Amino acid sequence: MMSPILDINDLYLSFSTEEGELEAINGLNLEVEQGKIHGLIGETGCGKSVTGRTVLGLFDSNTMIKGGEILYNGDDLLSKTQHELQRDYRGNEIAMIFQDPGSSLNPVFKIEDQLDEVLRIYQPGKKAERRKKMIAALNAVKLPDPERLLKKYPHQLSGGMKQRVMIALNLACQPSLLIADEPTTALDVSIQAQFINVLKELQKEIDITILYITHDMAVVSEICDQVSVMYAGRIVEDVSMEDLFNKPVHPYSKLLVSSVLGPETNIDNLVEISGSVPRLINPPPGCRFHPRCEHMKPECKEEPPVLKEVAPGHQVACFKEDLS
Amino acid sequence: MNKKFLLNRFGRTLLTLVGVSIIAFMILHLAPGDPARIMLGQFATEENIEIFREQHHLNEPLPVQYGAWITGVMQGNFGYSIRYNRPVHELIWTRMWPTLTLTVSALVLAVILGFTLGILAAIKRNSWLDYITTIQAMFWISIPAFWLGILFLYFFGLRLRWFPIGGMAGLASLVLPVFALGLREEAWFARPMRSEMLEVLNQAYIRSARARGIKERVIITKHALRNALIPLVTMIALRLPWIIGGSVVIEVVFAWGGMGSLLVNSVLARDFPVVQAILLLISFAVVMANLFADLLYSVIDPRIRLED
Ligand SMILES: Nc1ncnc2c1ncn2[C@@H]1O[C@H](COP(=O)(O)OP(=O)(O)OP(=O)(O)O)[C@@H](O)[C@H]1O
Ligand code: SF4
Ligand SMILES: [Mg+2]
Repeated sequence: MMSPILDINDLYLSFSTEEGELEAINGLNLEVEQGKIHGLIGETGCGKSVTGRTVLGLFDSNTMIKGGEILYNGDDLLSKTQHELQRDYRGNEIAMIFQDPGSSLNPVFKIEDQLDEVLRIYQPGKKAERRKKMIAALNAVKLPDPERLLKKYPHQLSGGMKQRVMIALNLACQPSLLIADEPTTALDVSIQAQFINVLKELQKEIDITILYITHDMAVVSEICDQVSVMYAGRIVEDVSMEDLFNKPVHPYSKLLVSSVLGPETNIDNLVEISGSVPRLINPPPGCRFHPRCEHMKPECKEEPPVLKEVAPGHQVACFKEDLS
Repeated sequence: MNKKFLLNRFGRTLLTLVGVSIIAFMILHLAPGDPARIMLGQFATEENIEIFREQHHLNEPLPVQYGAWITGVMQGNFGYSIRYNRPVHELIWTRMWPTLTLTVSALVLAVILGFTLGILAAIKRNSWLDYITTIQAMFWISIPAFWLGILFLYFFGLRLRWFPIGGMAGLASLVLPVFALGLREEAWFARPMRSEMLEVLNQAYIRSARARGIKERVIITKHALRNALIPLVTMIALRLPWIIGGSVVIEVVFAWGGMGSLLVNSVLARDFPVVQAILLLISFAVVMANLFADLLYSVIDPRIRLED
């Protein structure tokens, strides 16, 4: 087995809040294979975005790292300074597209200026060359009429266009790993499909690894190779996309998959029926899912279960007897 | 830029100017008593007063008087100063440069210092630098302008003898009045710049620029500052009347021979043509600065720059 490009081990992260310590990430283990599109799914508030931001070291000021390591090609990112992260990793190794495309572009600069800024850093060359690359970058994300688009300001573009510009902007850094945090949530359904196709094609072409954070089971089935199911700050199952839908093992994954048959594919609407995510200030002890779990046993309240391999490339964290 | 917006804005400016000129004109007639007697003093003879009236159209109805006055003003003729017995425009012309030097220097000082402190305070939030910025701003704001001027004169002029105590003898005599005027205004720019910067630095586009590996220095000086400046441009225009007001006081304290001290002397001497002219000019400057800020605002914020 190839060594993973991203390997997060036993990550613990809390936020200090007025009500106390909020344990957002609680013993998270996540391995992302080189060249894959790896889905990270879970209900709202389970810590997906925090995980993505933490990889890049983009912490909110009230963040406390409690333990663990984030290995990128073997180097622990948590031991780097902000300056080292900026110089050696952000952009050139790892890039990130954030949840809100509308506000991710600087409103006072033209698309041209924002693209050129990145090109000057990561693909230096003559002005004319850079210009060609800009056009190519916008063509690559299937944006029509790139010449005109370059002259525009972000507020003159639609949500879908902005999100594609964000992709172009991030790929212009030539990273090896792209973290995409719910890039389609703010888009119309029809545009979502287009966007996902563009991303899928690009991923094959330039052989980039993508950590794809999403709420949406339909998107998972369309784009992901491997999927990590997250619950309240922990990965509860790590499984190939096919197996997730065909034979999910963890009770929470089963809940997600069993209710995905109808037209509704947004996880948040699926799981509402069976209670909601626990509060992360004083969370339930042991398996954090136990208040909602019908297989709950006494030991589930004691210790949190760790990920165990149930089949090659398939790990589950649960105390249930028959893990299948 | 959008034509309708421009027309609208220019139209409003014009209306304001007309209003302002009417107020400046009416100053003379709002003062209690007979304007001619007020200006000539209580010992003037009836005969002289009648002549004065004729000369200054004071027997005509008010609108006619205003018409005559404003027509003159538009031709650069502000009448005669009673006290100096010279054309008002000559007086103002010689007094304008010292005032411009003082106010513009103070404004530049205030903007550079205020913006720098505000930005640094935002980057180093809750550090000693942040606290000092806040404290010094409160300090300057809470001291009246004339008192600050006198303190400066006393310490740096009389005690330390670093600078001349008033007058207009070269660059050295500019320092104290400029700081007395500028530091107060700096306080008005540092705090808003700090909070603007803090807000902008929290925006998604800043985080996303950081994620692309852009240097922190570039993030601050380019990505964040450019956005934070937008509301601050208006702030400068809004402070302009206060700077001018402050300059009147500072000019008197430092015996600075500009329009401010001319204004005060003319008010005391009831030299109404001069008072009217200066009020008109100051209002004109403020109105034009506001117009300019509005236009600049739409240049630096592309979201306002409407398509034609
Ligand atoms: N700076 C912060 N201070 C306090 N709590 C925070 C902070 N940032 C995130 N959280 C909390 O951490 C938890 C995880 O947040 P996160 O944004 O990662 O969720 P998510 O899985 O991305 O949810 P969504 O699907 O809604 O985007 C949430 O409970 C959130 O309220
Ligand atoms: S560990 Fe226990 S409570 Fe948690 S999912 Fe498995 S069976 Fe349910
Ligand atoms: Mg999120």
